Amino acid sequence: MGCFYSKKSKRKSGEKEEHTSTGETSNAVPLGNNTDEAPKQYSWDKREKVDLSHYTLKELKDVTVGRLPGTLNGEQFVIQECENCNIFVLDHSATITIDDCVNCRIVLGPVKGSVFFRDCKDIKCVVACQQFRTRDCQKMDVFLCCATQPIIESSTGMKFGCFQYFYPELAFHFKDAGLSIFNNNWSNIHDFTPVSGENNWSLLPEASSVLDFVPTPDPESDFKSVRISADPSRSIVPLTKGGRRKESEESCLFLFFAGEYTTANARKLIDEAVAKGFVLIQTKEVLMRPEDVKRVFQNSEDDLVEWITKGPVVALELNGDGVVEACRNIANEVFSATKVFVSDNKNTSTRDVDNFFNFADMQMGF
Amino acid sequence: MKELEGLLSILRRLKQSPDHEVRLLLLGLDNAGKTTLLKQLAAEDISHITPTQGFNIKSVQASGFKLNVWDIGGQRKIRPYWRSYFDNTDVLIYVIDSSDRKRLDETSLELADLLEEEKLAGVPLLIFANKQDLMTASPASVLAESLNLHTIRDRMWQVQACSALTAEGVQVDATNTACKLTKLETEWLSVWQQIS
Repeated sequence: MGCFYSKKSKRKSGEKEEHTSTGETSNAVPLGNNTDEAPKQYSWDKREKVDLSHYTLKELKDVTVGRLPGTLNGEQFVIQECENCNIFVLDHSATITIDDCVNCRIVLGPVKGSVFFRDCKDIKCVVACQQFRTRDCQKMDVFLCCATQPIIESSTGMKFGCFQYFYPELAFHFKDAGLSIFNNNWSNIHDFTPVSGENNWSLLPEASSVLDFVPTPDPESDFKSVRISADPSRSIVPLTKGGRRKESEESCLFLFFAGEYTTANARKLIDEAVAKGFVLIQTKEVLMRPEDVKRVFQNSEDDLVEWITKGPVVALELNGDGVVEACRNIANEVFSATKVFVSDNKNTSTRDVDNFFNFADMQMGF
Repeated sequence: MKELEGLLSILRRLKQSPDHEVRLLLLGLDNAGKTTLLKQLAAEDISHITPTQGFNIKSVQASGFKLNVWDIGGQRKIRPYWRSYFDNTDVLIYVIDSSDRKRLDETSLELADLLEEEKLAGVPLLIFANKQDLMTASPASVLAESLNLHTIRDRMWQVQACSALTAEGVQVDATNTACKLTKLETEWLSVWQQIS
């Protein structure tokens, strides 16, 4: 049954209603009187009964636990009242809540909806999700990939770094969860309870290594079969500098248009640029409409319009002295057969970057 | 019968000024799914929704009515601001994450507080028992009982099980992008027809 109605509204027809200005008789059809309508069968009514314990980790202590790839398949997961545990949820899920946990190390595979930590303390975690939320938490170190702006409330000692993780199925799990590896707002946190003179959150030191915070699973555990790597160069999510201070005034906008090899190409560009000493600041994967092209690309090349309709573009901001020239060379040498946009020169490149990422933020915000 | 009075007076106002806009207020705890519901009502993409920091507002055409839907952020810290949005509310829509067992008491308390608010006196209440697509979701019947809804005597109320994510229970008519508010609106229309 899906609907419940207040029964108080039943009235006999023909009764005069006392307070009407026109003195009309009310023939109102009372609510709650739908006996002629069969109860609706929603999909959740027809669902088979399941063992909820498969989707819950509860009241565990001093153990290594979690879920292997393929065991959750996009369902909800619940973690509560765990202490001194190593928790590896290595599958994609719908949403995860983590309540009343202390001194745990947690890896959460891609979550389609929200990850919500409540009343947790001393947590080190690696998380990929659409929304990241905390309330009443203390001392958390979070390596994060979040599609929207992360929020914290009544939480202190919160530190954030860029998601760095790999296991073989992880790329598929990102797709299954509908998350793009290029949309990662890990470094700009919104605090609902700021305290003047203090910071409830900060960024982790730049060179932080995930394994110092969340070690790989015990070789004797159930997870020994999963080839996990926390090597930054193998990370499924590209490492971005995010809101950290840029070292150079010169940035370059590099854009790939939708195609079969867009992700591979973007990764190749990142490798080439990083090898030359440049830094990846931010990335975005976003749909553009024809009217956006003119606004974003000042010297509007009309042929760009046909390219943006094929699918979302992947944009990258690279930074460093000489980066624009280097990017143009890479475009010519490595991507000569691929449709790309690269900033023209270092005098206009900052404007390219601002125009594009401001547009992307507006597009992706509500 | 104050609650029926409330509904009929809304409808009379609507009948008298067909351009009257219906004001819907979407409240509930943070992470309940209010913004997803709002986006579904407006037939918009729901794949990239950010936690609401202030409020969102959308105007939606539905069967001859213009609905102005106000979606207000539900974090504990900003619930005191809910009262700024009470005035002239035609229907209060309270959204509950049916799968969040830990916070059932909290959402129950917040709802109880809302029902004591003078500015919301008599305003019809529509409760969406949301996230029914999730494993640990309590059925709407169980929620209705936990919330002691049967003690509400001063207004019309209705509980609707739904999944804002999949749009089940929130009838979104994709063919003409008009949106329906399930049974409540259907009843309103039949009442309207009767008094027209």
